[in-house]
Amino acid sequence: MKTSKTISRRNLLKGIALGAGAATLAACAPASQRPAPAEAPQSEAATQPAAAPAAPSGPTEIVYWGFSGGLGNTEDELVKMYNDKNTGVTIKREVQGNYEETAQKLTAQLAAKSDLPQIVLLSDVWWFKFYRSGSLLPLNELVAAQKMDTADFVDSLWIEGVRKGVQHWIPFARSTPLFYYNADMLEAAGLEARGPKTWNEFMEWAPKLVQKEGDTLKVAAFAHPGAASYIAWLFQCVAWQFGGSYSDAEFNIKLLEPDTVRAGQFYQDTVNKMGWAIASQDVQKDFVTGLAATAMLSTGSLAGVLRDATFRVGTAFLPEEKQFGCCTGGAGLAILAGASPDKAAAAMQYIDWATGNEGGAFWSQNTGYMPVRKSTAASESYAKFFEERPQAKTAVEQLPKTKPQDAARVFIPGGDQIIGKGLERIIISKEDVTTVWTDVTAELNREAEPVKRDIAAMGG
Amino acid sequence: MDSAPTTTHANTQLAARVSAATASVRSARAEHLVHRALGYAAMAGIVVIIGLPVLWLLTGAVKTNREIFSPVVQWLPANPTLDNFGRAWQAAPFDRYYINSIITTLAGGLAEVIMAITTAYALVYVRFPKRDWVFALLLVALMVPEEVVIVPNYLTVANWGLVNTYAGIVLPGASIAFGTFLLRQYFRTIPVDLTDAARVDGAGHVRAMLSIVVPIAAPAVATTAMLSFVAKWNEYLWPLIVTTTQEFRTLPIGLRWLLDQEGNTEWGVVMAATLFVVAPVIVVFLYAQRFLVSGIAAGAVKG
Repeated sequence: MKTSKTISRRNLLKGIALGAGAATLAACAPASQRPAPAEAPQSEAATQPAAAPAAPSGPTEIVYWGFSGGLGNTEDELVKMYNDKNTGVTIKREVQGNYEETAQKLTAQLAAKSDLPQIVLLSDVWWFKFYRSGSLLPLNELVAAQKMDTADFVDSLWIEGVRKGVQHWIPFARSTPLFYYNADMLEAAGLEARGPKTWNEFMEWAPKLVQKEGDTLKVAAFAHPGAASYIAWLFQCVAWQFGGSYSDAEFNIKLLEPDTVRAGQFYQDTVNKMGWAIASQDVQKDFVTGLAATAMLSTGSLAGVLRDATFRVGTAFLPEEKQFGCCTGGAGLAILAGASPDKAAAAMQYIDWATGNEGGAFWSQNTGYMPVRKSTAASESYAKFFEERPQAKTAVEQLPKTKPQDAARVFIPGGDQIIGKGLERIIISKEDVTTVWTDVTAELNREAEPVKRDIAAMGG
Repeated sequence: MDSAPTTTHANTQLAARVSAATASVRSARAEHLVHRALGYAAMAGIVVIIGLPVLWLLTGAVKTNREIFSPVVQWLPANPTLDNFGRAWQAAPFDRYYINSIITTLAGGLAEVIMAITTAYALVYVRFPKRDWVFALLLVALMVPEEVVIVPNYLTVANWGLVNTYAGIVLPGASIAFGTFLLRQYFRTIPVDLTDAARVDGAGHVRAMLSIVVPIAAPAVATTAMLSFVAKWNEYLWPLIVTTTQEFRTLPIGLRWLLDQEGNTEWGVVMAATLFVVAPVIVVFLYAQRFLVSGIAAGAVKG
């Protein structure tokens, strides 16, 4: 009897603890918010051609994972513009964070096979990972069904999302680096308020722009970002300008070629030997606060720079060395392979509008990103916009001279950060350039192996 | 006649002793003053280290971005504005985030406190085999960082279909070993005679726990509740991982979403939104800090 009584009390205690927890949780979980069943396995779905793309058959809600912050607020307005048109397709915008956080979140949800969006914003260095895993829907049939004029897209932007002749990633928030300068500071130093044509010219300007108190640099002529702020994206242009590169399309790493080593040595010298540049935690902040007279920044930073700067801001083409060099960057839109034909068609309908003359013009004019369609850039709306904001015109004029990025940065997983951390060793730790590039080359080669195997298995 | 020199000698000795004692008192006072001055200096230093960022947060919330980015540091705003608060409120659905934070904090905190009380009671007052082993296991759980169990927790919660639900946010944190550990230590300071007397009077474990142990351990229970609620209010990583939609996002995540990919962050807005998040915690903490201090100290002597 005693035993039975003791057990009963234990059970009672257990019951209270479990019951309280369960009751609490049950009360908190609304039945209406249960997640949808897992979608079809990604790899399986992705190997199928898009099923007979057509216009959505009825009212359709599309979940879209997009930007955070100020860009997110502009995107909210963009989505509202579209939803207010009552096309039968409603976009529900969700935010997962920056490019990296969005990609990580997508990876987690693909593993869980639940709560996936139909459209996702993926950056230049992330979309290929999801293409390799078969998670992105091939878009050619949807593009054709939507009657999208692919020739109207800026060629260098459009081709970046093509693999084996099939589109997987459509340009949306696309950027290039620009040379930003503080016009007031340049004129105060007795220089013309314009960007330098070459790095040699800038090396003549730089000592006039620098302001020192003793040995302390108070105002730098130029600021370099860190790895987390995509220095590898910006330095890629400098490597090209010096005649070098990160790699070729077949993943042959070119960092140890003389011109790329020379470019690395130049970056190190700007901070150490010549001493007119700084390694900055936040280049945009240092530029708008006047701690750096010039900087290379994304076109996407333009709206923020103009909002925060208390001086005249100018933009120019990137300086040349042996030649001109400028890459594209930013993010594009992809549709996930698990989307049903109806949802995929609805998603493409939105993408067509958001990258087109109405949505695309609104988006690029309010963010600083480039118009991704030629007709948008040539439109009357843009002519007027360029009059109001001449700095934005530089990006559009520079665009035809840009080219897609090296495979080592955008197709090797973590390639951007591997190269970026190498550049930090060169600039901040003052390590020997050849030694650093040797280490980085070894790491890139190691990381490239599975990519090369996958690409071979996929046939390209 | 002999007494005079003796008296004089005694007086001299006394005077010397008094003088030495006075010097000693003075020295002790001086030492005390030095210690006190050093203590105040250390406190002032800590107040500056902790207080300056808070001051920057408070003033930044009423500054424009240009003022925040001014090359000359401006501690006080030249033209204070409350615009940032309105813009922060509109930049993200903070009303929804508030509701979500309140629900997950209350549900999670309540579950954690109930679990902690019942588990600690069982570990102290219920005899069962290998009781110390169970406690040792709890201590091990205390030492496993949250990040280590995130992937298995996520896959479990996802398999149960609890992504984007309050239950998914609350469940993995419903029982934390620290609360059990804290309460067990406190319960052990309560004389067993009290619960024995209750048992003799016919009370069962539940009655003894609710009527005897919990009221006596009120400071420790309040501390456990306080620590749990603050931790859950501020929790970022798990709610971030287990939600993909703003309907279930909590305040700390909403704050993170104000940061901009291209560096165009409006810091005045971010600082105003930060005040939304920390204000309730500061109010609750100021109210309950006396429980917190006495509760943490309690149980520290007897292990």
